[in-house]
Amino acid sequence: MMHLVPLFMAVPLAGAFLAALPNRRLPWLPDLLGNLAMTWLTVTALSMVGHSGLCAVGDWGYLGIVLRLDGLAVLMLIAINGIGLCATLFSVSYMDRYTARGRYYSLFLLMVAGMNGVVLTGDLFNLYVFMEIAAIASYALVAFGCQHEELEAAFKYAVLGSVASALILIAVAILYGLTGNLNMTAVAVRLAADTDQPATLLAVGLLLCGFALKAALVPFHAWLPDAHPSAPAPVSAMLSGVVIKALGIYVLCRLVFNVFGATAPLLLVLRTLGTVSMIVGVMLAIGQWDMKRLFAYHSISQIGYVALGIGLGTPLGIAGGLFHMVNHSVFKSLLFLNAGAVEYAAGTRDLKRLGGLRGQMPVTANTSLVASMSIAGIPPFNGFWSKLLIVMACIEAGQNWLAVAAIAVSLLTLASFLKVQRYAFFEAAKSALTGVKEVPVLMRTAMLILAALCILTSLAVLAGWREPLLIGWAADALRGGVFGGVQ
Amino acid sequence: MMEMLLHPMILPITLPVVAGVVCLLLPRQLHKVRDIIAVGASAVTLLLALRLLVALRGGGLYTFAACPLVNLRLDALSGFVMVAIALFGVLSALYSLGYMAGRERLNEYYAYLLWTVGISCGAVLANHFLLLLIFWGMLGVTLYLMIGMGGSKASAAAKKTFIVIGGSDCLLMLGIAIAWHVTGRMLMDEVTLTMTRKLNVLAFLCFTVAALAKAGAMPFHSWVPDCGEKAPLSVSAFLPASLDKLLGIYLLARTMHGLFVASYALRVLLMLVGAATVMCAVMMALVQHDLRRLLAYHAVSQVGYMVLGIASGTAIGMAGGLFHMLNHAMYKSSLFMCAGSVERQAGTCDLDRLGGLGRAMPITFVSCLVAAMAISGVPPLNGFASKWMVYQGIIEAGNQSGPWVIWIVAAMFGSALTLASFVKILHAVFLRKPPAEAERRNVSEVGFSMWFPTAFLGLMCLVFGVFWKRLPYTFLVEPAVVGEVTIPGLWWGAPAALVLLAGIAAGLVIYALTTARKPRVCATYIGGELMEAADIPGEARSDSRDVEVSGVDFYRTIETMAPFRGFYAAARQKAFDIYDVGTKILFYFVDILRAAHTGLLPTYLTWLVAGMLFVVWWLVRAGGG
Repeated sequence: MMHLVPLFMAVPLAGAFLAALPNRRLPWLPDLLGNLAMTWLTVTALSMVGHSGLCAVGDWGYLGIVLRLDGLAVLMLIAINGIGLCATLFSVSYMDRYTARGRYYSLFLLMVAGMNGVVLTGDLFNLYVFMEIAAIASYALVAFGCQHEELEAAFKYAVLGSVASALILIAVAILYGLTGNLNMTAVAVRLAADTDQPATLLAVGLLLCGFALKAALVPFHAWLPDAHPSAPAPVSAMLSGVVIKALGIYVLCRLVFNVFGATAPLLLVLRTLGTVSMIVGVMLAIGQWDMKRLFAYHSISQIGYVALGIGLGTPLGIAGGLFHMVNHSVFKSLLFLNAGAVEYAAGTRDLKRLGGLRGQMPVTANTSLVASMSIAGIPPFNGFWSKLLIVMACIEAGQNWLAVAAIAVSLLTLASFLKVQRYAFFEAAKSALTGVKEVPVLMRTAMLILAALCILTSLAVLAGWREPLLIGWAADALRGGVFGGVQ
Repeated sequence: MMEMLLHPMILPITLPVVAGVVCLLLPRQLHKVRDIIAVGASAVTLLLALRLLVALRGGGLYTFAACPLVNLRLDALSGFVMVAIALFGVLSALYSLGYMAGRERLNEYYAYLLWTVGISCGAVLANHFLLLLIFWGMLGVTLYLMIGMGGSKASAAAKKTFIVIGGSDCLLMLGIAIAWHVTGRMLMDEVTLTMTRKLNVLAFLCFTVAALAKAGAMPFHSWVPDCGEKAPLSVSAFLPASLDKLLGIYLLARTMHGLFVASYALRVLLMLVGAATVMCAVMMALVQHDLRRLLAYHAVSQVGYMVLGIASGTAIGMAGGLFHMLNHAMYKSSLFMCAGSVERQAGTCDLDRLGGLGRAMPITFVSCLVAAMAISGVPPLNGFASKWMVYQGIIEAGNQSGPWVIWIVAAMFGSALTLASFVKILHAVFLRKPPAEAERRNVSEVGFSMWFPTAFLGLMCLVFGVFWKRLPYTFLVEPAVVGEVTIPGLWWGAPAALVLLAGIAAGLVIYALTTARKPRVCATYIGGELMEAADIPGEARSDSRDVEVSGVDFYRTIETMAPFRGFYAAARQKAFDIYDVGTKILFYFVDILRAAHTGLLPTYLTWLVAGMLFVVWWLVRAGGG
């Protein structure tokens, strides 16, 4: 299977190139290309379950790229490409609102290629390069509407993102200077022999902050509430669903656990950032009236849960954090697709101007109810299980106050999603919305798939209660510590 | 797999859930089939529950374990509660046939109703903490959806309810996580926590809050009045009035007697909650103008008695609490059904606009009368039997549960005020001369499917009151109680009922022989106040009405009385509503945070740099130290 691994970057890159070619005769070709590429990627990612190993692309010494596949990488690949497939399915009808379909799919596939690369690479500099590919594609996608708000959001996103990228690049340079190597495993070995140098600590700090910005942890979150709502809905789903995880949380985990070694101060930083994000994010979300903006603030809050769980450093905490990350990508992308569907059908996503859509848009209403219950941690949906694991892990680790905070945030999350449910779907219909109809079939399909996943992923926990299957395997990859990863 | 799904302990859970899915998927044309399925499935569930209870006689215990998570345990307490759940399921389904007829989305409604029955059975059977938590959380969703059936006007109430209930579910999750951490076990029958560590106290409080919020005790009560007022009355009769009480008190009983050994201080706290709930809620009920809201406040008030009984820590107190839970479910369901029938026939629940329905709706009137006397604790009805046991429990516990005299005075005073507010209902809805606009309505009795459950429950109130010892106590309550019950103040229901009947008969005879022939005319006084002409909406004041009480005027004086004025003013400002107060506090902080997010790029860059400096400084300090 390892020979297929480079194709995770090659296929979307090729797709991006083809989709961007000028083409007037076949307007449906970019749609087809995007969906085919994502389908292939999803199927291949699923077939990777259980495999691990190294793959060297080009054997040119320093210049070669080492790709590394392990449990965590497979988990991320499935999330990125699976959510990506739902987003492209949704895009087919949704992108009628925009022009330049070819460029849209081209940017979308570039972003996917970048994320797949980040997840698979075993080399710090390549990590930086792939991250920049994904990040620049996402800046462009945020600006895709080319209206005043989109451009402003993209500008802020680009400036803050570039500062973070600069920090990361400086840190990579410092590490290269210290160890003479860019391969993650080699760097880890050298650092383990020689810890606590001020230069190392500076590099670690810069990397943490750089990737914390990509993950939108407070106080590095300020770009997200502008950027995520401004993008087209399927892109918002990708940005909140997977981009902040693949470029942010995933890299943080990889670096903390597999490169630097999970020391107490590092874990404390992760935990603290996580808890603060969790609380601040939800408090900012609850007062919002724009559906997508409200969801975007919740991404900050939910990423906080993930960082909190992983920052505990215990097996249960890591499993809970990773599981929550996967669950969040499912329900949050579903929520953004719901918001897109509402905007598509009703022409607005302002909660004050919506109402009564439960009767007119049953599929959207019910799938968004499922997603809301998931994110609020209501059983039997998937969010319940991961929150439960995180709370149990907090108690087990003796962090009782963090458990209380997690519980309180869960309550506020429920409150703000009931607000969405009430004003968008339950309240009396506004007269302006009388002719609203349910969205086209492909958009419904994408939402139904994700809603089904909200339930199915929790069944996976039940099936392997003692040893959560894929999650456990991914958590092992992290817990293996510095040398435990694939050598 | 099939064998497992058909196990007698699984079937009461799966059967209603599957029937609910069928109801949901049936085409709209087959609404008769749907009705039959809804009533039939809940009736079969009742039979299944009864079969389990019968099999349990003689102090048995059934367990069922299919995998670590699916671990069920049936004992006398869960059997008792399960039978009650299934009974109210059948009656509610039956009542809904009439009450909900002609509304939209009925497939969903019956599906939610059946799911609620099945999930509730699961919640009381669950022996694994997580299974309990799952069922408990799912009940919040079905409750939310059922209140949401009230349409757009119920959406605020549905939201508030789910936030309060969902919040308490979160606390339950925390409590379970602590219990699991401290004991290392996930099975409820293997866990007993004593109050030796702070963590255990926190767990106890979490469990208790979850139970109290579900049951609707203060200070977590504020969803009950809103829900009672806005949700369809068949939902109010089923959920806040009966099912949520059963579940909440079930969890409280498990928490107090089994999972935890409560300390003195915690029991006093709970007694205080109970006494305050009885008093405050009944005070609120007195001044309500809406029949539904008034009944809902009583649904809060009565929880206080159950809490007092169970928290007293004595066996008889617990028996009284559990018995009161069952009795309350019966009379309060009946009362809500009466209100539903009144609303359906007269078109309103506003006490100011009702009147004179006693003649038009005799069955509803008599049911309401019996249930009202039962809730006020008039012997020989069931409410008296269980309140009397609660009082004995408080007395027996004595100083073990704090200043017991206060608890018992609060309980008795609450009972008196309950009677006062039900006199108001009976008068305003059924007895007084109707206001002019009400006279124009042509009101008749409701159909069978609506009066039967109402009257059946009224009859049960009487039967359970007169034969309390022989029927409900021996079969249901006593086996469920932990410890030996001794009843010092034994009360013979049947002979007392005969004496009471004889007394009433004698009174009627005297009335017929003397007063009826030569009535005495005098000025009207009520409670020492001279009556003025009643203020009836839509009518000019006239002297011809000066002997009439509008049903709400008299009770208004309480609102302006000196010691209570402040209380009612605060209540109008929602100072006692934990949801409202919590929202205000939260938004104080939210506004600060929002003010910080100016949207200016330089500010955000400053945060980035400050955060980075802090992280690096911290790492260097921790690494160097």
